[in-house]
This record gives sequence, C-alpha cells and structure tokens, in this order.
Amino acid sequence: MSKQIGILTTNFYSPDGLRMVYGGAERYGLELTGLLIDLGYEVTWWQIGTGWKREFFHGVKINTIPEIKSEFMTFPSLNQRFHEQAMGIDYVIYFVTFLAYPHSLERSISISHGVFWDYPGFDSKFRTETERMEWLRRYHIALGGPAKVVSVDTNTINWVNATWPGLSHRMEYIPNFVDINSVKPRSKKGDKVKVIFPRRLTSVRGLNEAAYTAKMLTAKYPGEIEFHFVGRGHTDILEAEASKWASENEDIYYYWQPPHIMYKVYAEMDIALLPTKAAEGTSLSCLEAMASGCAVITTHIGGLANMIIHDYNGLLIKPTPDSLLEATEYLFKNENERHRLGENAKEVARAFDIKHWKHKWEKIINRVFK
Amino acid sequence: MESCYKHSIIAMMPVRNEIDRYLNEVLTHLLKWVDKVVILDDASEDDIIEVLGENERIITHKNEYCIFEQNESALRSKLWNLTVKENPDWILAIDADEIFEDRIIDEASLLINQNYYDAICFRIFDFWSSKTHYRVDGGWNPWVKFSPLLIRYIPDINYHWPDRRIHSGRFPHPCDNYIPYYSDIRIKHFGWADPKDHYRKFLFYQNKDIEMSGRVSQHTQSIMIAPQSNDLETWQDAKRLWFRGK
Repeated sequence: MSKQIGILTTNFYSPDGLRMVYGGAERYGLELTGLLIDLGYEVTWWQIGTGWKREFFHGVKINTIPEIKSEFMTFPSLNQRFHEQAMGIDYVIYFVTFLAYPHSLERSISISHGVFWDYPGFDSKFRTETERMEWLRRYHIALGGPAKVVSVDTNTINWVNATWPGLSHRMEYIPNFVDINSVKPRSKKGDKVKVIFPRRLTSVRGLNEAAYTAKMLTAKYPGEIEFHFVGRGHTDILEAEASKWASENEDIYYYWQPPHIMYKVYAEMDIALLPTKAAEGTSLSCLEAMASGCAVITTHIGGLANMIIHDYNGLLIKPTPDSLLEATEYLFKNENERHRLGENAKEVARAFDIKHWKHKWEKIINRVFK
Repeated sequence: MESCYKHSIIAMMPVRNEIDRYLNEVLTHLLKWVDKVVILDDASEDDIIEVLGENERIITHKNEYCIFEQNESALRSKLWNLTVKENPDWILAIDADEIFEDRIIDEASLLINQNYYDAICFRIFDFWSSKTHYRVDGGWNPWVKFSPLLIRYIPDINYHWPDRRIHSGRFPHPCDNYIPYYSDIRIKHFGWADPKDHYRKFLFYQNKDIEMSGRVSQHTQSIMIAPQSNDLETWQDAKRLWFRGK
C-alpha cells in the first residue's frame, strides 16, 4: 500500500474556496504533488477554509480546516487541528515554514519560499520588542521541528545560519525551476518593444513602480513600446481597476493566463520587469522569462540574485520607480543589450531546469521519508 | 501540461422566441471558435429554426411544448443529452443572449488543449438597458463571481442533474467539482439590454421566487429599481492578444 503524505498550507485557494491565485507557490505545489505521486505516494492537502473539500489535482483532494486565528505570524490552532485530522498519514510536508509551529511530525519536511519578514509593514506587526522576540522564538521552533527545511534561495539559509547557527544542518537549498522543454521559440520581431510584468498585482512585487514606468514610457514613446501586466490581483476590485486602467491606454494590457500558455506569452516579450520590493524567493516567473530569452530587470531582494548577475544575464536595480524607469528605457533603446542579456539569461536558466529540481527533491524525500 | 491532441468544442444552447433578439449575432460569433452548436428550441412561437436555415455546424432540435417555464433542469438535461451524442471533447453552455469578448476567438483552443483543468469559468457582465453599459450594484456585480461555462466531457462519468425548477446550473453533477481555471475573458450578457424585457422577466422571476421560497428575493426586486448612474459602468472590449493563427 502506498505511503501517505499530508501537505499543510495556508491558502492554496481563498478560505471560501472561490478564488485561486495562480502564483509561484501554487505552481510549486502542483509540481511537488505530481512528483510525489510519481514517486508512489498518496498525497492529501489541507488548508484554511470554511469546511469545503475538493479535488484540486487529478486524484488528489484538498481538505479545509476552519481555523484562521494567527498569532505572531504562526497558526498554532491550525497546526493542532491538522495533526488531529491527519492522524493516519505517514509523512508531512509543511508547505510554509511557520506552519510547523508548535508541533511537527518526526518525518517531515518544511519549505521556505523566501524571507517574508523584509517588507516595511512587517516591523509594525509587533508592538513591542517582547512580541518580536516571541515571533522569533516561535519561528525557531518551527524551523527546528521538521527533519529538513527546503529553502528555495540562499538568502533564507544565510539568515538562518547567521541567526541560529545550530539549525544550519537542517537547511537544504533547492532553487525553483523552469521547464526548459516547455519554452517556446522566440517570436519574430514586431515593430514594438514588448515589456512584461509577469507577477501578481501586489505592491511587494513592485506593481506601482512598474505601472509608473509603463505610464511614463508609453507617453514618451507612443506606439513604440507596449506593457503587459500579466497576473491576478488579490481582490476582484483590483482586477476590475487594472482592466479599466489598461483599457484607457492603447499600449498597456492587463490579463492573466494559465501556466501552459505563459510560455507562449514570454516568447513574444523583449523585456521582463520583476521589480520586487520584498518577500521573494527564486521567482518562477523570473526563471521562465530568462529561459524564454527576455532581458530581465530585477532587484537584489530575496533570492533574485541567485539567478541574475548584474549586467551579465539581466540588470539588478534598486526597487525604486526611477531606477526601474531608467533601466527599462535603457533596454528599450538598446536592442543589442537586450539580445545579449536575454541570450545569457537563457543559458543560465538551463541550470534551473525542472529535472534538477526533481532530482534534488527526490534525494531529500528518500532520506527523510524512507 | 499542454496537450498535443486538438480538442473539439461543442456549444449547447436553449432558445425560445429569439427572432429579433441576439441569436444571429451570437451564432456568428460562436461559429468563429466552436466546432458545432446544438440548439434546443423550447417550443418557440416564432419560426426561429427555419430562419436559421441549413448549416452543417448548427444542429437543431425542437420541443413540442415549453419545458423551461416548468422545470429548467429538465430542459438543460435534455439539451445535455443531445449534445453528448455529438461526441464533444469540451462542452460550452451558452445562452442565446451571451457573447464572449473577441479574445476567446484566439485563445479558446489554447485554454482547452491541456490536460490539467476540466472546467473553465468566466465572469458574466449584465448589460443594462443598452449594449454599452453593464450593471455593477448588489447581486449584479460581475467581478465577484465566475461561472463554469466550458467543461471537459468525460464519457465514463455518471452524470446526473439536480431536480431544480430554476437556477439548476448549466451542467450536471459532478461538473461542479471539476478542477477549475478562472479565465479573465469576459462574457457580455444582453438579456437585460432591452428595457422592454425587464417587466416580463421580473414577473417570471417573482413567481419563481415565491414558488421556491415563498418570498421575492432582493435581486429580483432590484430588476424594477432603476440603477443609479454609478451603478452602471461603460464596457470596453479587452484588447486581443497576438495568438491569432498560432
């Protein structure tokens, strides 16, 4: 009989089950589920929700636990109820590191998708130093429980090593992936330079900086440059506003596409903007843009510098509106530079092919679960 | 995830007394991106089927008496059975007053030629007293709800319909549990675009509400309450992308 793996996450779907955000974490979850099934495991997911259940991957169910109480960036009640409900399972993957607080199964793995405490609002979540220390105490317990913590970037590992050296042996670096076989050949050149912002519509991803850049450059070079904002918003209102905003400018588009179509979208693009300001790992969209030969403009936040070397396979800038505007205009005007950076990016992306990701995960699974 | 097999789409559409409404426009648009349309005429008093004429991609059937007013799920169920006889890979459930925005013409085949999602859900925009503005107040807000309108047909499944006289849904169970993809391509619904239809439809839904729950719902009442100017938004077609012919 197959061994059973339970995966606990916060929100694959929104708690009411009506909304799925097609972000990198969700993509990661689908690929991981597929890998575990290929390795012969039975997989069941749990998340916060109003009690609904559904199949979210062929043959794989997602259950919900009506527990939303969060304390110091942890979900102790969710953790407790998950362990009660999932009593029959053999192994656990905590899809987000802090979900392993306070309890974790001996044979379990957690995943860090990147440092999430680097955005300006995080500091104000704790009113006193005591509260901040309590968050750290809990986070230490969460990282120390599972047998291994898979980190998508080196940024997180370096922070852990510097903060709690005793935990360093638990950390395993498995950067995110791109499916090189799915990459589409670049489209023949059109008359406009096409720029993509392939991210969810959130401020931490640099949405406002990208919108500012789009507004400035489409006004300065009408009919010569086109901006594509491709990704879901966190709310219906945001998506409605983005649609209206795009409809008012001939050279600005807003839409989203499922992952298998995204490769066709990248094949049409010349420049990819990833002006992340915080809470980033090794972005899947950065890797897809690289593999598709786009010239990438990104920042040094999180794990982005694990993939981009400034002026070799992309541009690393400060996450400010003017830096982004300047870099985008520079690449808009320099076709040779776009081409050079894009070609190098394509080459580097091969090191992140999904086959390597699968191989590394398989080794860790075999070590912890067998 | 991309599938190398090219799937077909068959649209199924109930119609009744559609002459001088939107059917021609709807069919002209549909035939640009679906393979066939199966139409079930629910005992129209006009001669709509004759007017449609011969077209090998339009398959028509006619009821002797009107089923919809008595039992919507019976009508939908009959239409479903007629549609699956055409061996579809995917089934689109569409009404005679609904038109997708043009992006679907370029993108439909990309959306369905994959092996992960089994249901594609869309937002429906209710045009109000015009073909230029849609309503956004209360239950008319189109942004908050996606409806599954395009589903993969899996022949081995035992499908069954709920016994509901109204709002039965467009597909049988278990399509409601299919793995969904929420598309940003929108649908224009012209069912409320002609103000002459409002009172007749209000009476219909009022009676159904009373029959079903003993009271008239707020949403039904709102049909007869003229929306404020900020309850109406101007429609702008989304720009088509570059997938044409790819």
